[in-house]
Amino acid sequence: MSRPTFRNEHFAALALAWTATGVAPAEEQAPTHWLERMNQALTTRNYDGTFSHWHGGHVEMLRIIHRVQDGTVSERLASLDGSGREFVRTGASLSCYLPDKRTVVVEQRPPEKSLVGFPAVTDQTASFYDIREIGRTRLNRRDTHIITVSPKDEYRYGYRLWIDDSTAMPLKTQLCDTHGHVIEQIVFASLTLPSRIPDSAFRTEVSTEGFQWLRNETPPPPAQAGGAMAWSAMRLPPGFKMTGRSAQTLPGSTDPVDHLVFTDGLASVSVFVEPQRAAKAGESPVAETAEVGSSSAFSTVVDGHKITAVGEVPPDTVRFIATQVKAHGK
Amino acid sequence: MNEELDSQLSAMFDDELAPEQCELLARRLSRDEQLKSRWGRYAVIGAAIRSERGVSLNPPLAGRVSAVILTEPALSGSAAAQGVRRAALRWWQPIAGAAMAAGVAAVSVLWLRAQGPLPGATLSAQRTAHTDAIAPGQGLSYVVPRAPAARAVLVPSTTLANYVVAHSMVSSPVARRNLLSAFMTSESANAASESITAAEEPHDVQANIP
Repeated sequence: MSRPTFRNEHFAALALAWTATGVAPAEEQAPTHWLERMNQALTTRNYDGTFSHWHGGHVEMLRIIHRVQDGTVSERLASLDGSGREFVRTGASLSCYLPDKRTVVVEQRPPEKSLVGFPAVTDQTASFYDIREIGRTRLNRRDTHIITVSPKDEYRYGYRLWIDDSTAMPLKTQLCDTHGHVIEQIVFASLTLPSRIPDSAFRTEVSTEGFQWLRNETPPPPAQAGGAMAWSAMRLPPGFKMTGRSAQTLPGSTDPVDHLVFTDGLASVSVFVEPQRAAKAGESPVAETAEVGSSSAFSTVVDGHKITAVGEVPPDTVRFIATQVKAHGK
Repeated sequence: MNEELDSQLSAMFDDELAPEQCELLARRLSRDEQLKSRWGRYAVIGAAIRSERGVSLNPPLAGRVSAVILTEPALSGSAAAQGVRRAALRWWQPIAGAAMAAGVAAVSVLWLRAQGPLPGATLSAQRTAHTDAIAPGQGLSYVVPRAPAARAVLVPSTTLANYVVAHSMVSSPVARRNLLSAFMTSESANAASESITAAEEPHDVQANIP
């Protein structure tokens, strides 16, 4: 009995492409190279897959479609049950459809202002994680390498990844807390790597009649949101560095926002700085925390500005970074 | 449950049942709660034994697997199992219809994938104490702030959506997919609108840094 969930011809074609470009045979790859190959596959390949997302005892099915065509990235991620939310990216346009809120959030990111790229695994990164290949196994009749990424301290999470031998696509990923417990899991039930994906695949199926549309129509400010103020973190958890900064406006707001990016090469934290709207008399600023899956957010107020840190790190880490962000150079 | 049915179920899970028999059994699965329950247990056991091959199970997990094997009600009685079953049953019906049309093999794959990891599953590569990898310029002593007592505060979910989308553009590909997936699911919808909490003591963070 065959399982129709993988189209092997696509995987085979991809494997041949890698061979042709001189990539070393799989058996010679170090664990960190598998992470790099996986990142490369996820960002440069066309794929269409359905996967289960598990978090906190709750399972939901989602579909992801990813295409790179003429240098433009298109992506659609849709919840197949539950909220029915969808995220659609076409080039620099990011749209988040929230049927449960009857809202569509649209962000247009000018390419020259965008923070591009993602963290790169370096030797220093490897000093804060124990990265190993702990075995090989068959998953969905595919040969996979099991790569574990274990944090050496409590400031970051770990991963366990089942990476396909020939395509480097992660067929299964587990996010683990600082005690090694699995807190989030994604497993592909079907995955294809088509050479062509039509534009129609990136059109949402959400009916948006009567929805409110929030856009960032105000051009991004030329300087930081804090005017002449420059924002940076006084202290950071070991291994984290600030790797990017941009000024932007967010959908539904005309206030400029500074976006600072901190990363250790695997985990990243964004800090958003925006002017705090006037508080009511006698109202003291409050700090807010939130969790989105295994990611954390923490918000506080510093020097009349709202500081919000968001990242795929433990709650205490975003809290630490947010409270260390200060203005200087008024 | 009769022995023959049990045998067929086992064979189907092991991918050893003839396609025509698979289809018949899948149809029965869609309406037989007892059979579904047994299938769920096979999925959990299979995930531990097959998908996790090469990963050592910790003793409590191994014990739980043994308990599942030895005592039928063990899994169905646990809170975690109820969560898994609730979620699995919720999407079972639409998936079942489509899967049977496309071939019953897909049912077994999808059903297995709907199961969450077993509670307590840990990385076999043990974490080691962080003793010598402090970045240059960083102090040797950090005190992670304790999570403060919290009280509920409602904040607009669209604000959180803005932050999540903007952050996703700078995350690593895997982290990005996790983050956006979590935000797409209904659980995160609840989290965004209902579980936002506010710290009572926002300024109690300490860092013992020279």
